[in-house]
Amino acid sequence: MLQRDAFIEEITKYLEKDKSIFFLSADFGAKALDELRQRFPNNFLHCGISEQAMLDIAAGLALEDNKVFVYGMAPFLALRSLEQTKCGAGLMNLPICLLSVGIGLGYADAGPTHYTTEDFACFRSIVGSSIYTPADSLSTKLIAKELLEKPKFSYIRLDRDVLPNISPEITNADLNRGFKVFGNINNNKIALISHGRMLHKCLEIYKNKLNKFVCVDILRSKPFPKDLPKKISSCKGIVVVDEQSPSGNLSSCVFEGFSEQSYFPKIISKSLPESYVFENGGREYLLNKFGLSNDDIIKACNKIV
Amino acid sequence: MKKINDLENLAKKYRRDLFEKLLIIKQGHPGSIFSMMEIVVALYHGGFVNYDSKKNLFLDKVLISKGHATAALYPILRDFGILPKKEWDNWGHKNSLLRVFGNISIPGIDVTSGSLGHCIGVGAGMAISFKKSGQNKKVFVIISEGELYEGSTWEALLFAKHYKLDNLNIIIDINSLIILGSTKDCLNLDPIKEKILSLGINTLEVEGHNMGDLISTFEKTKKIGKLNCILAKTVKGKGSSIMENKKDWHYWNAMSDEEIEKTRKELT
Repeated sequence: MLQRDAFIEEITKYLEKDKSIFFLSADFGAKALDELRQRFPNNFLHCGISEQAMLDIAAGLALEDNKVFVYGMAPFLALRSLEQTKCGAGLMNLPICLLSVGIGLGYADAGPTHYTTEDFACFRSIVGSSIYTPADSLSTKLIAKELLEKPKFSYIRLDRDVLPNISPEITNADLNRGFKVFGNINNNKIALISHGRMLHKCLEIYKNKLNKFVCVDILRSKPFPKDLPKKISSCKGIVVVDEQSPSGNLSSCVFEGFSEQSYFPKIISKSLPESYVFENGGREYLLNKFGLSNDDIIKACNKIV
Repeated sequence: MKKINDLENLAKKYRRDLFEKLLIIKQGHPGSIFSMMEIVVALYHGGFVNYDSKKNLFLDKVLISKGHATAALYPILRDFGILPKKEWDNWGHKNSLLRVFGNISIPGIDVTSGSLGHCIGVGAGMAISFKKSGQNKKVFVIISEGELYEGSTWEALLFAKHYKLDNLNIIIDINSLIILGSTKDCLNLDPIKEKILSLGINTLEVEGHNMGDLISTFEKTKKIGKLNCILAKTVKGKGSSIMENKKDWHYWNAMSDEEIEKTRKELT
């Protein structure tokens, strides 16, 4: 199941009992959205291809105590309306939830206008935001339920593609903690840290060499899970894998998270390079070409002595 | 409703009150505040912003999109007793609640603004919420003409028109000046009326310092009951010959004792 359908299905369920929910779209669809629109037309607002106004409208709705979900294609929802997000959801501390679809190179081969390789760095700098990057539809549903029960200013980073379900599956306890560790930690192992689609690459590497790796899913990267550094500080080293540009990606969170620890293991960042991606060939081809193949990640791990 | 003459005198008094405050804080945007003074006096004291005296709050919303001029509301809110007088008196001290730009922590201020081009969208969100929840409340949004340079303004106008937001009232304060000069010279916005009319929005023109004209225009829009946009022709820095139509008085400037006395006399 697509993550967007999983999230919207939960919203639709809640709409049966809570009419204060508004769903705003900047001309971006989903199968589940068709149902929401049909069943609850008064709670759906098409804002036009106008992300900036959509975030302002969302602020007005949230100021009147509505639960507001804004929905759009990641490159445009995240960056085009960033200042509106800051001035509305941020400055006024409004419970607006942004559902951003197609992070990373999700829209391959559309080219760099449609890639979202900087949204993470942008959003984590907005004061008051929470950031979630689920790696499957089950954890997406958990996040949706949490935000429907306790709305807050949040940015949800969803993949364009169907991602396989993680096993063992993410629980509410994992969500509360903000992360899940796969494997048993010891000082001979390297921790592979990621989120979203790239987590699946890390899981694959980990499952192939259980004695060498543990894998960590940071499904809530902001606020950064405060228990994580202590939990994995005994590892031999850490490799953070993110389908983002090099500055301000998930590895920055990890560096910052560890900065208050007395012990600081070696941390290597694996991300996309400091360049725009124009090539064709599909997402997997591009990831392999630009340094995020499984082999590239394993090579980075091998640098940790 | 107060008599026209009383409303005119209130606008003068508020300009004077604000001038004395700006003298103390030595910052702010007198040109933009003074250009919209009659507009906000007409809205609040003219009874167009619905006031619940028992609860001591305004039921309708007023969003000052030109956030640098939000201070124009402070003396009004003070006189209605919504902004405690001690907060007004305290303005100019470090621990003051009042700011050059308004924010929602200030009693009676309905939006945090300062960045231009946001509040028609915010107002549209509020207006649609009121309509969907069956609340008979209105939203007034005051923007500067300079905000017509922002794409988000036009995006929000399209939205407001499409959703038939007849409880949304937009007032454009057209003082024809932006920071670097006249809008005509910097980047021409004209014809503003035709542009807004072409969206299908009911558009009216008013002399923005003529209280009688303002009151009758607001009465008219109330009767029409449609999404409307009022183009208010104003003078930047209205009331002070030193400031009037001077782009440099967008911001506060140092004044000599003579200039201060002259301005005080003119604002009295």
